[in-house]
Amino acid sequence: MATRVERFDPSDVAAQPHRYFRRKYVWQWPIRAFHWVNAICILVLFATGLYIANPILSPTGEAYGNFVMGRVLQVHYTFAFIFIVNFLWRIYWFWMGNPYARSGFPFVWKASWWRDLFRQAGDYLALRRGHVHLGHNALGGLVYTLFVIFLGWAQILTGLAMYSESNPGGFWSGIAGWVIPLAGGSFQVRMWHYLFAWVFITFSIVHVYIVFYDGQQYKNGLVTSMISGVKFYQEGDIDCDNWIS
Amino acid sequence: MTAQRVVVDPVTRIEGHLRVEAMLDGHGVIRDAMSSGTMWRGIEVILQGRDPRSAWAFCERICGVCTTVHALASVRAVENAVGITVPPNADIIRNIMFLTQMVQDHVIHFYHLHALDWVDVVSALKADPAATAALAQKVSPHWPKASPGYFSDVLGTLQRFVASGQLGIFANAYWGHPAYKLPPEANLMAVAHYLEALVWQKEIIKIHTIFGGKNPHPNYLVGGMASAIDMQSDNAINIERLNYVRGLAQRAQEIVEHLYIPDLMAVASFYPEWTTIGGGVGNYMAYGDVPQKSVGDPSTFLFPRGVILDKNLGEVLPVDPTDPEQIREQIAHSWYRYPKGTEELHPWDGITEPSYTGPKPPYEHLDENDAYTWLKTPRWRGHSMEVGPLARMLVGFASGRDDFKEVVTEALGRLNVPATALFSTLGRTAARGLETRLAVHWLMNELDRLMTNIKNGDQQVADTSLWEPETWPAETKGFGFTEAPRGALGHWVHIKDGKIANYQAVVPSTWNASPRDAKGQHGAYESALIGTPMADPKRPVEILRTIHSFDPCLACASH
Amino acid sequence: MSLKPGMSTYDVLREHGVDRRTFLRFCTATAAAMGLDATMVPRVVEALENKPRIPVIWLHGLECTCCSESFIRSSHPITQDIIFNMISLDYDDTLQAAAGRQAEEIREALVRDHPGEYVLAVEGNAPTRDGGVYCTVGGRTFLDILQETAAKAKFVVAWGSCASNGCVQAAHPNPTGAKPVKDLISGKAVINVPGCPPIAEVMTGVLTYVLTFGRLPELDRFGRPKMFYGKRIHDKCYRRAYFDAGQFVETWDDDGAKKGWCLYKMGCRGPTTYNSCPTFKWNNGVSYPIQSGHGCLGCSEAGFWDNSSFYDRLTSIPVPGIEATPELIGKTLAVAAGVGVAAHFTSFMIKRGIGSKTENVEDGKD
Ligand code: HEM
Ligand code: HEM
Ligand code: NFV
Ligand code: SF4
Ligand code: SF4
Ligand code: F3S
Ligand SMILES: [Mg+2]
Repeated sequence: MATRVERFDPSDVAAQPHRYFRRKYVWQWPIRAFHWVNAICILVLFATGLYIANPILSPTGEAYGNFVMGRVLQVHYTFAFIFIVNFLWRIYWFWMGNPYARSGFPFVWKASWWRDLFRQAGDYLALRRGHVHLGHNALGGLVYTLFVIFLGWAQILTGLAMYSESNPGGFWSGIAGWVIPLAGGSFQVRMWHYLFAWVFITFSIVHVYIVFYDGQQYKNGLVTSMISGVKFYQEGDIDCDNWIS
Repeated sequence: MTAQRVVVDPVTRIEGHLRVEAMLDGHGVIRDAMSSGTMWRGIEVILQGRDPRSAWAFCERICGVCTTVHALASVRAVENAVGITVPPNADIIRNIMFLTQMVQDHVIHFYHLHALDWVDVVSALKADPAATAALAQKVSPHWPKASPGYFSDVLGTLQRFVASGQLGIFANAYWGHPAYKLPPEANLMAVAHYLEALVWQKEIIKIHTIFGGKNPHPNYLVGGMASAIDMQSDNAINIERLNYVRGLAQRAQEIVEHLYIPDLMAVASFYPEWTTIGGGVGNYMAYGDVPQKSVGDPSTFLFPRGVILDKNLGEVLPVDPTDPEQIREQIAHSWYRYPKGTEELHPWDGITEPSYTGPKPPYEHLDENDAYTWLKTPRWRGHSMEVGPLARMLVGFASGRDDFKEVVTEALGRLNVPATALFSTLGRTAARGLETRLAVHWLMNELDRLMTNIKNGDQQVADTSLWEPETWPAETKGFGFTEAPRGALGHWVHIKDGKIANYQAVVPSTWNASPRDAKGQHGAYESALIGTPMADPKRPVEILRTIHSFDPCLACASH
Repeated sequence: MSLKPGMSTYDVLREHGVDRRTFLRFCTATAAAMGLDATMVPRVVEALENKPRIPVIWLHGLECTCCSESFIRSSHPITQDIIFNMISLDYDDTLQAAAGRQAEEIREALVRDHPGEYVLAVEGNAPTRDGGVYCTVGGRTFLDILQETAAKAKFVVAWGSCASNGCVQAAHPNPTGAKPVKDLISGKAVINVPGCPPIAEVMTGVLTYVLTFGRLPELDRFGRPKMFYGKRIHDKCYRRAYFDAGQFVETWDDDGAKKGWCLYKMGCRGPTTYNSCPTFKWNNGVSYPIQSGHGCLGCSEAGFWDNSSFYDRLTSIPVPGIEATPELIGKTLAVAAGVGVAAHFTSFMIKRGIGSKTENVEDGKD
């Protein structure tokens, strides 16, 4: 815990390098932009989704004077498409970005990745400040892959399948209509979409907490890193994890 | 002629899968008979664990022919279990739907399922259209379609149809069988009315569509009905909808009075011998229906409740379907398993566990000494009972109800037969027609009652105070009933923690088509067949006549 | 065009004053419509001159016979026209005059002597458990009869949800092992006409389409004719304006119910159901479930019985054996996450409280 701010002293740095933090530009702007667009979309989609599932407002008067459900659906669809484009953009940036953009990939065939996975889980559970990563740690990467990429696909496909239903045989029906027989019918698709919505929120709760916890524990500037792109590390913390090529 | 075993499987022009085996003596007289239901779907098993408020929809699919009655019995059972009294309007709408169903089902049965047992389609080809018109005008002076031109058109259609060589549903039947007695003109008239009734039956059920959204399988609701009433709304039951219902009911009255009943009387008059054949068990039971106050008060039912034993019209015994001593199901000759095997279970404790022990298909015969049917064996205080139109008419008659007495005595007089003629195949068929007269009349009555309530400012159709399962007792049992077209129908439900713990239906055709019981007492079909002479055992018209007089529904019976 | 008994299409056209030349032009057009080239025209002429009514075998398995009941309610065409003028309904145990052996002989003769010429219409479905003993006809299993009859059929029409999807008897736990027709036969075109029951005019519409145009209708992913099952109830529902407005019936018989507001919150399955109810309506346009105040049950959708209570919007997740609603699972997950986070945070605070003291003693700089 920083109790005082010392004046910068290059000789002390040279003498005791481990006591000083270094900066590293890790999250390029496309990642940061993706992240915040994604976060906002999920919150909006969840909120509108809950209303769609259980529309609690009941406006009075004639139908022509109200458009509550219609509007909520429009918002849901709008953010859904932003979500999808943003999602695809992130996939594109997986290849185009710096190595950190690929650091979340689950390198399941590498022993070092597995070691890191268990070590990170152990560190979190034991409340230890262990190994510092500049990109994602193996656990974080795995969670993003499962709960953002896989779940994202599932939510996009079930969502698009439902979206396509008002125009069977149309463009979106060609893209995602196959999901309906796969799930066993339109009703089933809805149930999955609704369940997945809660899984997103579950992820978000844990994720936001871990980000704050990790930032406190590792003193790596994690919380601000998604704004500035910069992370901090000390001498001895390795620069980039060894499973990333 | 030597003793032989006649198998009729499938029995056609019925609902579901029924097999009859009749054992004939050397004179071609049926000495013993077996009635076997050859299909089972397990609806009672499927209902377990489900939302009792959804049960009506499952139960309704027990049968699409008497569609609606199982839904009615089911919502009543659940309401009875959780203590809901539905608003008066809901009871009336249910009565209207019930009566509509009865009228439609009976007319279809007479013309499309039963008539071909008495009417020779091929003989109609020989009819003279002018003579047919004269006959028709005599039989029913108020029925407009009775000109020689009309009958000559029908004859022309029939001739072309037969000449095509493609007889369709009339193919390979028993035309020319000596048991057919109608003159060609009566046959032609019946064929014409077969077609008339086919066109009309789709009209009356529009009453179901108005209140229940569709037919077959209209919608019901625990706690009342879903079709809200609001005279100021164009999106609810309003004056236009009620006028629609009234028009349909009026038309139904015309059909029953001027087509069905005259035809029934005309056909019956040619078959006097069938007033002595096919009587059967002689015990009759009705739960009653068409409540005027509430289902909890049987004294107000238009169809009274009661039991008649041994054709004794001097006494009507009380029935209590919730009494564990009265209604019990056995399985001595049924393909089911009970824990001990010999129990007789009241439906609240009923068990439905299939256990097929019959021969491996394909088979030639079933064994009357073994289990031989998918029907259970319901008995009332150990007696085999007949339920249905005849039972209802007899219970009404024996209860001293004037409306029943009037239609019965009038019909007996017209046919010039004694009251004992009722205990027969033809008596059963006639009773169906007679109760249709009552039903179509009551239908109008119920509609008037509904109008009166609305006029008095009561537009409520549902009571939702006990809609949520959380408001129910943790464990409760209920009984629901109705008088389905084919007879007394009961549903028994056991609800635990808001879910169905057990559900049992004992259905009219279960009573009538049941196998013999542990004591060897035959079910109503079997017993009615015994003693019937058969002219040509290869062409089983006589068996069809008696069996059809019950209007079998086997999907109902075994469910 | 309706075919009268014993009359070929040519006879009918002639009766309507059509001459031979016009008839031949008609044949050419028909051939073109069926996608045949010019060399096939003589065959078409021959067929239309001589073609008798197409024989139909209508089998009944595990069922409630409601599909038949619905069928006879058809208003346009009226059923009478179909069964006496358009098809030859040679076998249908619910309506036919012959019984027992005499009935079975008809079916056997068609299968034996007219392979590929008859249409098989199936109502209900077949039990497959315990050797099929849960449904027998004439001492044979229905499964056996179905397969035998289907093998020689021209094509197969599966009436209703029973034949198309399994329906009520196939609902959990499906005690008889009931399976829909498409799962029991192979190598035949099957038209699924789901609904419990299907709308009468949909049934007669499917038949007359095939008779009139001489080809099967276009089918969707579930083998249903697109022309009748192409759109959701919800997208054609006359209460949709209330849905979009957010105006819902909240309890039965409330003010919204009287005004005809949307039944979404009462469990209406219109948003997940493909059928023609809002457009054709039932019983010649009188009403349909929603119009009469009850939500759609989803009766034309596969497995609609097992989607839990008809009165809840979000019911069971579609994993057999798990009863929990997605709502319950979802909220449980989210709450569990919250609890986990709180527990971790508390331990962290406790540990850090102790840790920071010792650190400060060791090194105040940081
Ligand atoms: C609904 C809310 C949120 C969602 C769905 C979400 C989602 C994500 C995703 C998908 C990533 C991976 C990024 C990538 O590899 O491209 C990520 C990383 C990150 N997020 Fe969030 N996020 C949310 C809220 C937040 C908040 C509120 C913060 C901080 C104030 C935050 C800070 C971070 C940080 C620092 C990382 C990098 C973590 C690491 O290095 O392992 N996130 N988030
Ligand atoms: C994180 C992402 C998302 C969340 C949390 C989410 C959440 C929800 C929820 C809770 C519902 C209500 C389900 C119901 O009760 O029937 C819903 C409905 C829906 N969502 Fe999403 N959704 C997401 C993404 C998407 C996407 C990408 C699409 C694609 C177009 C989409 C399209 C739809 C559609 C069409 C509906 C059904 C609306 C209706 O019933 O008319 N959603 N969503
Ligand atoms: N038996 C019987 Fe039903 C009737 N009527 C039912 O309760 O037909 Ni299907
Ligand atoms: S689909 Fe429904 S209506 Fe048709 S037979 Fe099956 S249960 Fe009856
Ligand atoms: S009533 Fe049902 S189908 Fe109609 S708009 Fe509402 S949810 Fe959709
Ligand atoms: S329940 Fe069936 S009848 Fe139509 S409105 Fe729904 S599909
Ligand atoms: Mg039973």
